[in-house]
Amino acid sequence: MDLSVKIGSTTFTNPLGVASGTFGYGSEYEKLIDLAEIGTLYTKAVTPRPRPGNSIPRIIETASGLLNSIGLANVGMVGFVEQKLPFLATLSCSVVVNVAGDDPDEYREVVEYLDRHDTVNTIKGYEVNISCPNVKCGGLALGTDPRQVEQLTRLLKKTTDKPIIMKLTPNVTDITVPARAAEAGGADAVSCINTLVGMVIDTSLKKTVLPAGTGGLSGPAVFPVALAMVYRTARAVTIPVIGLGGIMTADHAVQFLLAGASAVQVGTANFVDPNIAVDVLRGIEKYAETERLTTIQDFHTFIE
Amino acid sequence: MKFIDARVIDNVSVAEEYYEMSFSWPSEETPLPGQFLTIRASDRTTPLLRRPFAFSRFDDGVARIIYQKRGDATAILAAKTRDEPLNVVGPLGNIFPVPRDSGRPVLVAGGVGIGPIFFFAEHIRAHNPLLVVGARTRGLLPAESCPHGIETVYATDDGSFGFHGTVVDVLKTTYSTDDNWILYLCGPEPMLKAGHEFATERRVPAWVSLEQTMGCAVGACMGCAVRVTGGLGYARVCTEGPVFDSREIVWT
Repeated sequence: MDLSVKIGSTTFTNPLGVASGTFGYGSEYEKLIDLAEIGTLYTKAVTPRPRPGNSIPRIIETASGLLNSIGLANVGMVGFVEQKLPFLATLSCSVVVNVAGDDPDEYREVVEYLDRHDTVNTIKGYEVNISCPNVKCGGLALGTDPRQVEQLTRLLKKTTDKPIIMKLTPNVTDITVPARAAEAGGADAVSCINTLVGMVIDTSLKKTVLPAGTGGLSGPAVFPVALAMVYRTARAVTIPVIGLGGIMTADHAVQFLLAGASAVQVGTANFVDPNIAVDVLRGIEKYAETERLTTIQDFHTFIE
Repeated sequence: MKFIDARVIDNVSVAEEYYEMSFSWPSEETPLPGQFLTIRASDRTTPLLRRPFAFSRFDDGVARIIYQKRGDATAILAAKTRDEPLNVVGPLGNIFPVPRDSGRPVLVAGGVGIGPIFFFAEHIRAHNPLLVVGARTRGLLPAESCPHGIETVYATDDGSFGFHGTVVDVLKTTYSTDDNWILYLCGPEPMLKAGHEFATERRVPAWVSLEQTMGCAVGACMGCAVRVTGGLGYARVCTEGPVFDSREIVWT
């Protein structure tokens, strides 16, 4: 069995990743799980300058879900290189850095800076966040416009030789439109989905729980939506599709792979139980063994 | 910070809607006052997230929490019985700093804030702490769980037991300018804010233990932020806290 996944110039040893924003910069979970067991760690988004994040409260639990408005709180690219990259360099799992910015030039600035300072080739790719629903600029506004998606992808492909993964938003009428735009711009892969725009109102206070009004919904509640979007995206592009959204069990992950995903990411479930990601990987391997599937491509042969 | 394969030892009501649970703690890592743990209440997806609880006591491989039954997760916890497994991660967060000088520690608990304050009172018994415990009404005071042999003042908002008023009213009437106090507070935010204001006026140091909805509880998600005066303006309750110098907090 060989469930490795090739994205651009990088081969990822297995199809499992932990999703950006749910795993910090790795060190937070070091004492709880063996980070060598996970395939790929997608870091918290990195922006050119440090960001404090959004007003509080930032999270609220919903029915089988989590609504968040974190607002890309992060240490900035200089802080990332100084404080986070040395630890990431010690890990045996692959590291993909999630990148965000207010405009295309900020995305380019981060990728260029990180490439220049990643002297021991720790960073195995960039996941480009064009889908955060909780910031005013960049993020979702950019990700819903196919022309901008294509231009940004092209700009970043020119900036780095490392794989570029465009992270798509589900908050569009047809996710295959931005997916095709990313492919046209030269993306090495797309990951989908980021969170769905959602809202909760406190009826006693008669106001929204999140100060920003809306937030991004994740967790098992969004899984069937994510699955359908991955299914459609995998049929619209020829580059690898990374499926995420609501994975709680290996069965969810296998559904993504059967639907056409080449890899998966576990997100909110890391909060519920940090062991889940490793359990999901074991479950995928067990399923492949039982069903006599020897490569990721074998998963793609059942559902038209 | 570790996964703990805990088992429930005892789980009893100690006041109206308040429970005290004791459970085995098969780990070398000993929890200290101020620290917390998270529990996954069930394997279902509602409630989804782990819930944080402060330690209320620890002795020889047995940990305790005092919690209020107020939602899905705590209702599931309240139904747990002896020997049931408990999915625990801990200990997490920082600790109440033990007073170093000769000042008298004054420990103030309101509502569900009693757990960590009781734990700390036991821990610094040798420092002769004064304990102030408040609740809305008598039925919500878990008097039996209070540490014995420590000077304790009770207060109720409705006067049904002890001092008639808030815990901060107790501080105001008890304090004299000769007193050399160090305040430690845990409870609802308005109480903490009033405690901070009292401390600022009297120039008394105050440590507060904060509560905030948590996502990961290990510092990764930035969900449990609170406003602080330094840095970028936010701190994580799970990692920089839950115990803060009250002057670091932006009170609103």
